[in-house]
Amino acid sequence: MLDAQAHFEQIRDTLPGDGQARAATLAAAEAVGLPTRRVESWHYTDLARLLKSGETAVVRAVDFSSVEALEAHFENGVLQSEPQADGLQITPFLGTLASPDAPSPDNVMANYNHALAQNGLTAEVSGTLAHPLVIRTSGSEPVHLAHKISLAAGAKAVLVDDHMATGYSNVVFDITLGEGAELTLLRSQQAGHQVGLSHVTLEQDAKYKSVAMISGGTLARHEAHVSLKAAQAHAELHSAVLGHGLSKAATHADFTYVIEHQAADTSSHTSAYNVLDGNARGVFQGKIIVRPDAQRVDAQMQTRAMMLSEGAEMDAKPELEIYADDVVCAHGSAIGELDRDALFFLRSRGLDEASARHLLVAAFLEQVTTHIDDEGLSEIMRGLVDAKINTLLGNFNGGASA
Amino acid sequence: MSSLLDIKDLHAGITDKPIINGLSLSINPGEVHAIMGPNGSGKSTLSYVLSGKSGYEVNGGEMLFEGQELAEMTPEARAIAGLFLAFQYPLEIPGVTNMTFLKTSLNAIRRGRGEEDMDAASFLRLAREKSRALGMDDDMLRRQLNVGFSGGEKKRNEILQMAMLEPKLAILDETDSGLDIDALKTVAEGVNALRSPERGMLVITHYQRLLDFIKPDVVHVMAKGQIVKSGGPELALELEKSGYAEYVGGADAASAGSPAHA
Repeated sequence: MLDAQAHFEQIRDTLPGDGQARAATLAAAEAVGLPTRRVESWHYTDLARLLKSGETAVVRAVDFSSVEALEAHFENGVLQSEPQADGLQITPFLGTLASPDAPSPDNVMANYNHALAQNGLTAEVSGTLAHPLVIRTSGSEPVHLAHKISLAAGAKAVLVDDHMATGYSNVVFDITLGEGAELTLLRSQQAGHQVGLSHVTLEQDAKYKSVAMISGGTLARHEAHVSLKAAQAHAELHSAVLGHGLSKAATHADFTYVIEHQAADTSSHTSAYNVLDGNARGVFQGKIIVRPDAQRVDAQMQTRAMMLSEGAEMDAKPELEIYADDVVCAHGSAIGELDRDALFFLRSRGLDEASARHLLVAAFLEQVTTHIDDEGLSEIMRGLVDAKINTLLGNFNGGASA
Repeated sequence: MSSLLDIKDLHAGITDKPIINGLSLSINPGEVHAIMGPNGSGKSTLSYVLSGKSGYEVNGGEMLFEGQELAEMTPEARAIAGLFLAFQYPLEIPGVTNMTFLKTSLNAIRRGRGEEDMDAASFLRLAREKSRALGMDDDMLRRQLNVGFSGGEKKRNEILQMAMLEPKLAILDETDSGLDIDALKTVAEGVNALRSPERGMLVITHYQRLLDFIKPDVVHVMAKGQIVKSGGPELALELEKSGYAEYVGGADAASAGSPAHA
């Protein structure tokens, strides 16, 4: 587990910004300590225990060359390459972002990030980016990154968060979308223990779409706070988990959302698809808040889980907090096993059992991949999912259990 | 002539519950056999036992497909050997397009027979030709498998799979259920187009109506897990008038009723 104080002393000289302020923030965070399971938003994710697991295996980088992606590559927190493109302005990382609230057990991880952030991409987008912008995180050392992404009014971009770091990382995204701006954030985590937090604000007519694919790593905590601030703002958050591994090496994927409809005529659409084998655990906590004047809000939330072993676990907790009376809000949750009738149907059409299972798992996760509009990127993600299913197929057949 | 399918004294069911009780049936290439019978007589169980659905056990007798014992084969091996079941309730599989599914299925069967995969262009041509012949527009190939399909579209899709896979023996399990008369005609035309001297068919139905469109060579009446009577197409018309009462007997007779008004 990370000794934050020692880590701070070690990297202190390399950190930009106000060292004193950082030290004070860290001391305040340390006084609160890591969130325990008694904190509601961390109830299903025992952070201290999960951070005790060692580094995960090194994985192969996703190849984004077919989509001519721009790349910002952070290796152990050090920026290796800085992307350049029309409509993209990168400014050097100057230390911490806006000062966080005083630490409480709920937000203490943001305070750790505030104190220890050693780097991050500060990008402003005006206009339309012709190619996806990839933020790649690799290496094995503990790392704190703070990214700030702003899209000016009418700007359009596709951002890819390619996480392949094998150790601990605490990554904050601060995303602001101006009027009519459109951002797609594609996230892939293949390794490591990541505590991720994103804050997203949407102005009028802005569109945000996040599509996450967790195919490895022992901890993938992705917390998102989305604020829809003006009419016609639309947010979509879709996640897919291909969880596997036994005991300490098992995937633990936690998507925790707070989606706040602050204005009338805003909409959100959330879906979570979990395939869980071995001792993998999936967590979904989704809270939709509709403020009193936010009439005609349309908010939909769906959780689905396919359990492939006795030892896997899924916890789904959708919550609606509605203060307006003219809204359409719905949530649904379904947890089941691989459909035996579907398996028989496919085998009766000539597919052997392994191929039939592969097809059913891939089809299940395709319901997330299908939200990626860029064809090149969706093909890349399909390839990643297919390769992962292939390596896991032995486990699928055995139905590994605890 | 050697039989395509030869079932002798078959006993089968779910775990300890016997459903098929000493059934014998023989189908030659080129023949269309119909099995009719009241609900609960074991018609659908027969189709599942023949195609190898898990949970169904064979407890005695034999079912030879071109001389090979089906009970010893996996469901996919039966498909590769040329057996096809058109499902009574076709499944919806979101996340896979009809086209991808058809291609995966066709190539799995070709590989199982030691043949090369069909190249993409030939496959596309074949799929379009077969689906248009069934009155399906190209859009149905691009849609997710059976998702949002009407009852008639799902059944047509089953027949499309049959047309693509060209089985030696096709079992149609209550293909008429849930179809209006127009959909029934389209599906029946699709089935009739596949009739050939090499191909056998086993049409399972509760009603005579389907047999107006798919003319059988032999009609069997099934009750309590056995074939209790066999005859020509006229037997179906007879059943239409008299119902299944005489084959069910006892207290069941009243509830079994006439198939025409069930």
